[in-house]
Amino acid sequence: MLQSASVRRAALALVVGVAIAGCGAAPELDQQLETLSSWTATLELAKERHGAAAISTTYATQLADAARSALGKTEQQIGHAVHSRIDSSYAADALDSLRGAIRQLDAETGR
Amino acid sequence: MKKWGEIALGVVTSIGGFLEVGSIATSVQGGAIFHFQLAWVLVLGTASLAFLMEMTGRLAAVSRRTYADLLRERFGYRFFVVPLLAVFIVSLLVLTSEIGGVAIALQLATGIAFRWWAIPIALIGWLLLWRGTFSIVEQGTAMLGLVALTFAVGAVKLHPDWGTLGRALLPSTPSRDSARYWYIAVSMLGASISPYLYLFYSAGAIEDAWTIEYLSVNRITAGLGNLFGGGLAIAALVTAALVFEPRGIQVDRYEQIALVLATPLGRAGLVLFIATLCITCFGSTLEIALAIAYLLAQGFGWQWSENLKPGKDARFSTSYTVLIVLAAVPIALGADPLQLTNLSMVVTAASLPVTVIPLLVLMNDGDVLDTHVNGWISNTALVVIALLSVVLLVAALPLQLLGGG
Repeated sequence: MLQSASVRRAALALVVGVAIAGCGAAPELDQQLETLSSWTATLELAKERHGAAAISTTYATQLADAARSALGKTEQQIGHAVHSRIDSSYAADALDSLRGAIRQLDAETGR
Repeated sequence: MKKWGEIALGVVTSIGGFLEVGSIATSVQGGAIFHFQLAWVLVLGTASLAFLMEMTGRLAAVSRRTYADLLRERFGYRFFVVPLLAVFIVSLLVLTSEIGGVAIALQLATGIAFRWWAIPIALIGWLLLWRGTFSIVEQGTAMLGLVALTFAVGAVKLHPDWGTLGRALLPSTPSRDSARYWYIAVSMLGASISPYLYLFYSAGAIEDAWTIEYLSVNRITAGLGNLFGGGLAIAALVTAALVFEPRGIQVDRYEQIALVLATPLGRAGLVLFIATLCITCFGSTLEIALAIAYLLAQGFGWQWSENLKPGKDARFSTSYTVLIVLAAVPIALGADPLQLTNLSMVVTAASLPVTVIPLLVLMNDGDVLDTHVNGWISNTALVVIALLSVVLLVAALPLQLLGGG
């Protein structure tokens, strides 16, 4: 009886472990992609607002620097979250979009 | 006529002092991800704070002692050490976040990194506490804090769907990303119901020499002031919901938040946002430093009053001097102000039971409050807040791990 209870507990622990591991991988990439896309959108809005003279160059420059820092951090981490070629292509697209947005905001602020 | 003047001043002070680093950050984060859906949390938090302030204010006006004094006297030193330690640690963390908020505002304005501002902010804050009086600290910063009304202007200019917003004032469960939804909800509650707010209010009632005649002033100030203040927090959530959510912008850094008012209000919006962050966080810095010093002084039976010269209450003055400098250190060392804010709001939420549950006993103690003990409405509200505080205590850590990103 004790043995079968132990086996059941071990099996349950295994199932939970596999489920956590399985569920853990995908959201991690999703989270990284969300962060990249959020920063891309932030810089697009900043570029538009700077063009309309609604934000200062000092502030726009800080946003670009913050995005650069987020990009660097994500570039280091995203490799661990990529598990297939499709994942890899999504990651590359998101990284490229943010790099492009940083370049455009830099150009807008004259850097 | 004098009483109406005091009510008006009290309400204005509450409005101007409501928004601070935690409520701005968490409201904007909530709106950016979940549109209007988390507005009900602000209603719950604001109503809870209004009840707690009314009760601690009533306690002070009737008994002529602060909540901390009564905690020590009625429950004994052994018990008092628990809330003392919990509130001390949590408030110190929030104090650091507020200094971080002022430092970020100055960085946004000047381009000079926030860490360089931490010590100068602490020194200016200390100087004001050292030289100023209670009314300068409380009313002066709160009057300037009315600049936060900009959020209301920004929200209205964005033409929100009032029907959707009205429905969001009632509790709802998330359709996606539950962990993050509840994590932000807990942070928002931590920002709304910080213990320092009602401990400071209670000490302020003694500083202002409130008596039983001030009970109506207390009730209206706590009710109306928080109603309008909570409205400003909802306005911050609304602007984020309408500027950030449609574009998929989540708030990972304070730098992003400033865009929220630059969109509806242009250049003036950016300037007013920076002013709002700077002034409201600076006002809260002063209030929290005083609140912790009050708590220590009342707990250990020291002489205390912001209206006395520092030499007359040396241990009290030394406390806020040490605290404000100590709190500036993590920011000077480069700790991320937004992460610190989020953490401090969750920890604050978790600390609530130790100050809320004893209030239930005190507010029904006829020896302390005579005929002014709680009625059934106040008791029901306090039981609900106490239960909520226990839920927050249990949920805070798992949510920090699951939703804190």
